[in-house]
Amino acid sequence: MEGAADSDTPVPERSAADRAAALARLLHRDCTRLLELYKEREDFLSQHAPGGERLVTLALCPEAPSTAEQVGHVRSALRRCMELLECLIVREVEEMGEELQGEYESLRKTVKDRLGHLLHSTGALLENGEGGCPPSPPMQCIQGQDEVEASDSFAAKIWTYKVLLELIHWTDSASQTLHVFHTEKHGQQQQQQLL
Amino acid sequence: MQGWVTLALLLSLGVECSLGQNGVGELPVPRGLTLNPDLPAQTLSLTWQSDSSLFDLEIFHTELMNVVLNETVAVKTDPVTGLHSWTWHSPLPLECTSHSAHIRARNQQSVSQWSPLQTIPGSDIPEKSESNMFPQDKVVPVGSNMTFCCIVKEKEDFKEIMYGRQEMSATRLSRRTYAITATNQPVSGNTGTNVICCSQRLTLTGAVVFVGYPPGDEGLVCETRDLASAECSWKKGRDTGLRMRRSRTKYTLNGRDCLEANERKRWWCSSKAWEQSWTLVARNPLGTVQLTDSAQLTDRVHLLAPVNVTAVEVKAWSATLQWSWSVAAYKKLEMVCQLQLFAHELNSTRNYSGPGLSSVVLESLWPDVDYTVTLYCGSKHGFWKWGDKSAPYRIHTKMDRPDALDVWMWMDSSNTGRVFWKPLSVRKSHGALVGYEVSQSSAEEDGWTPVSLPPGNFSYPIILNNGSDITVAVAARNPAGLSQPSTVTTPAYRADSQLSMSELLSTNGSFVLSWQPNANASSGYAVEWVPTGCSGLCPVDWKKVPESDSSFTLNSDSLVAGVRYTVSVYALSTGAPTLLQRWQGYSQEMTPSQSVRELLPNQSGSDVLLSWKATAMENQRGFIRGYTIYLANAAHLELIANISDPEVQSYRVKGLSLSSYKFVVKAYTSAGEDAGATVAIKMEMDTADMLFVGILVPLGIMFCCLILISICCYKKREWVKKAFYPEIPGPKVPGDWSSPQGPLDVKPSPHSLVHIVESPEWDFTKEGLFPVPEEEEESENDNIEVDADSDEPALLRYYNQVVGDGSHGNQVSDSSGSSNTSVDSTQTEITYAGIQSPTSSQGACGGGGYRPQMQSVIGPAEPQIEFEADFQDDGLHAGYKPQCSWQLDSPEAENFSGSLGSPTSVTSSQFLIPESSEEKPQPSNTWFHNFLSGKS
Repeated sequence: MEGAADSDTPVPERSAADRAAALARLLHRDCTRLLELYKEREDFLSQHAPGGERLVTLALCPEAPSTAEQVGHVRSALRRCMELLECLIVREVEEMGEELQGEYESLRKTVKDRLGHLLHSTGALLENGEGGCPPSPPMQCIQGQDEVEASDSFAAKIWTYKVLLELIHWTDSASQTLHVFHTEKHGQQQQQQLL
Repeated sequence: MQGWVTLALLLSLGVECSLGQNGVGELPVPRGLTLNPDLPAQTLSLTWQSDSSLFDLEIFHTELMNVVLNETVAVKTDPVTGLHSWTWHSPLPLECTSHSAHIRARNQQSVSQWSPLQTIPGSDIPEKSESNMFPQDKVVPVGSNMTFCCIVKEKEDFKEIMYGRQEMSATRLSRRTYAITATNQPVSGNTGTNVICCSQRLTLTGAVVFVGYPPGDEGLVCETRDLASAECSWKKGRDTGLRMRRSRTKYTLNGRDCLEANERKRWWCSSKAWEQSWTLVARNPLGTVQLTDSAQLTDRVHLLAPVNVTAVEVKAWSATLQWSWSVAAYKKLEMVCQLQLFAHELNSTRNYSGPGLSSVVLESLWPDVDYTVTLYCGSKHGFWKWGDKSAPYRIHTKMDRPDALDVWMWMDSSNTGRVFWKPLSVRKSHGALVGYEVSQSSAEEDGWTPVSLPPGNFSYPIILNNGSDITVAVAARNPAGLSQPSTVTTPAYRADSQLSMSELLSTNGSFVLSWQPNANASSGYAVEWVPTGCSGLCPVDWKKVPESDSSFTLNSDSLVAGVRYTVSVYALSTGAPTLLQRWQGYSQEMTPSQSVRELLPNQSGSDVLLSWKATAMENQRGFIRGYTIYLANAAHLELIANISDPEVQSYRVKGLSLSSYKFVVKAYTSAGEDAGATVAIKMEMDTADMLFVGILVPLGIMFCCLILISICCYKKREWVKKAFYPEIPGPKVPGDWSSPQGPLDVKPSPHSLVHIVESPEWDFTKEGLFPVPEEEEESENDNIEVDADSDEPALLRYYNQVVGDGSHGNQVSDSSGSSNTSVDSTQTEITYAGIQSPTSSQGACGGGGYRPQMQSVIGPAEPQIEFEADFQDDGLHAGYKPQCSWQLDSPEAENFSGSLGSPTSVTSSQFLIPESSEEKPQPSNTWFHNFLSGKS
């Protein structure tokens, strides 16, 4: 993982918020790269950006005055992103099988694993689970959807593109929010030490 | 009555008029037209009721009323339903826009009225305001044509439709619908071909089409591995290009899903029970393939690999191999097994058979060899194919005693030889050799004398004592024991010179030998070849030939090109080998590696005899066929002789002129000439001629000339004397000098030294001249100056009569002024360092008086200067100076080391003071004067 230091070298202990922020930044880069790979496969996405609704919004959630609550909201969005990503993987595997094992498939798995770590680490930051808010619209991944005659491969490609966009957006939000959260925590600790 | 008629006419006219207007009045309009679309199939079914069987159909794109079909069809009534039914396949997805249709009956040229329009709504109706594209996820074969339509969202503009990366030309079908047609579609990528409908800003909608091939599977084969179940496999064939789940090929075997293949893991299906026939159906959206196979179970047995292969008993020449089967049913199966033995140069394949075979004895193995065994079996009856191979198993056989050695003995002299043996191959050594044992015995000695040699030795020297034959036995030893000894008896030594050897010609580098069969060759023959002239450790090689053969081909592999070999054939028997025949030859002749030796030229008059010696045999590299002699010019060699007899090793080049020549002699073999030896010679005259012409002839000529000159001079001596030696006139001096009254005392000039050396015969007490003391001189004669430097006061007298003797060899002294006296002379030598004029010191010459020897005196420094001054003065005065001018002309004016004939030499006073008073010429040369005087 990025930032891993030599075990022989004493380094200042990084806070959990700092580590989570770093992980969110790393995940953001992974997701950006994942979208690039997907665009290489489906090149029309590079020429004409599809429009449409957002897949993950926090429009119905109350405003979060505190940073901790904002972290909670972001975490909720990331959880939804995780559900979307898992659904995406299932659908793609069902559709394409496991024969294709390129960089896209490998990075797709990496993003899923790191997103799980980020969810776990942000959950640990929130003592009382503050800020939790279910995003909209509600998620329902229909497995075997491709078996339905009227299934739409093009819609699935657009949906995959939107999922990747949501991942990029929310991992970026997570890295920024966690950085602020870490800064505030660090400031509070210093003030307590001064007192 | 008239009114009814008028009414009837009007009605008939009305009917006729009606018929004249429509022309269809008699055909009823089809009833109940209904449209049933099949959207995925893009078909539209029309059903109606009518009594007619011929109909005109028209189908429109409703919104713009574009006619897409106008066709007359014959449709019979369905006897079951009583309806007419007709299906139209639309090239355009029916969802793209609304379609309307109507129909009318036709009978010959009469038609009915059109039925009311029936319409099926498309997706571009106002109620469906979103964007859409049709068809979606269609699977079509490669090369097909296909029409796509894009329904633009309400209030959205339309820009283009892209097929993959290709911008297509779109056709407007309705207010919101645009269509393109892709022709000859290529195979799609992994996720299909995207068709995108775009507005100016963004992607509105799209569709994916999957273009591929129908299944191409072939070659279904079913077999059994366990004698009960079946496994059917086939070749996949051409890639369909369809990888999406919905379009993959699905397989069924005898109607049952083939799970293994459908999961795309492997191309085979299994069945728990064997069936007589098998049918595999491969199906994808583009087509179906059906493969069949039929066979008895016993004809399709494919055995599994033997397991637990082990060697239970391993010997030197054999081993027993055991294994087991993982299927119990194999134990009763009549099977054939094949073993593959791998070893270095010992690979072999062996077959074994038997029911339920699980053990074999491997015979004919080689000792001390690593074998790797691989085993596989098949059904013996109705053999189908070899089963799976077992895992390789390693066997190392034990060692055994070595085989007997191939031994030969080569004699290099009558008393010495060497026994050779060939190294044993792996097949014959039967284990790593640890050494050799050589034993020899002779008739005079009882028993064998063994010698042990390390394994690297392949020969052993033999020395014959008293010329008796020796029998040598050689055996090889390895850890398993000693081989049978091989014996050989010393053959009689026969030097090459003792035999008349024939030349052996090679054929393609090989020697083909043949000889007369010999009755004594009870053990066959031995062909031996060795480099000719080799001594010491020679590379002796041999080959033993059975007695039935009398020919042998010595391959080029055993021979070295350019090396002369002596090839001998021996008859082998129980005793010593007998030499039958011997040859010499080259497997391949080459040009000599070195030129002839000791090339020497020998001139004999105008001929040159070139002689040389042949190069050493090892350098000849072929039989010398002759020599070529070249005359080397500046740029090329001129062939002057070709000696085809190699024994001739000299050549005479005749008729050469006196010049330098360079000759090149080259020896040649059948392969060509060597580089050549060069010798240069410069032709010279003969020594006797040169002595005669160069020395004696000039000497003789010169001698003759001298004699002639001498005779002539003698005959004409008077004339010569007059011509070259006139009388010197007497000095003209005042007074009577013509006849001296007495001895004249001459006082030397103070500027000169005059030494008068008297002959020892005269007075040995005086070693030189005695100058006259100054006092006496002054007192006796004032004209005589006294030498101030003289420390001996001797009286210096001038005796004119002395000349009469004529044998004075006086010499002029050097510049030191002192006189050298010849003690051998019997007469007084008078050396004049300078003679002063009798008159005065102020230049007798300048005054025209007589100064005969003034030039011959070089006194000490100061006198010299004075003398030079006087001399210069002399040159300025005319008058008689018989010796002044002569001295000036002499190149040795300053070299006064006296020699006879020197202009400064005064031999006698006779010329200085003539006998008479008459003036006579001064003689120019003393020896000449003597010569003329007839004196030596």
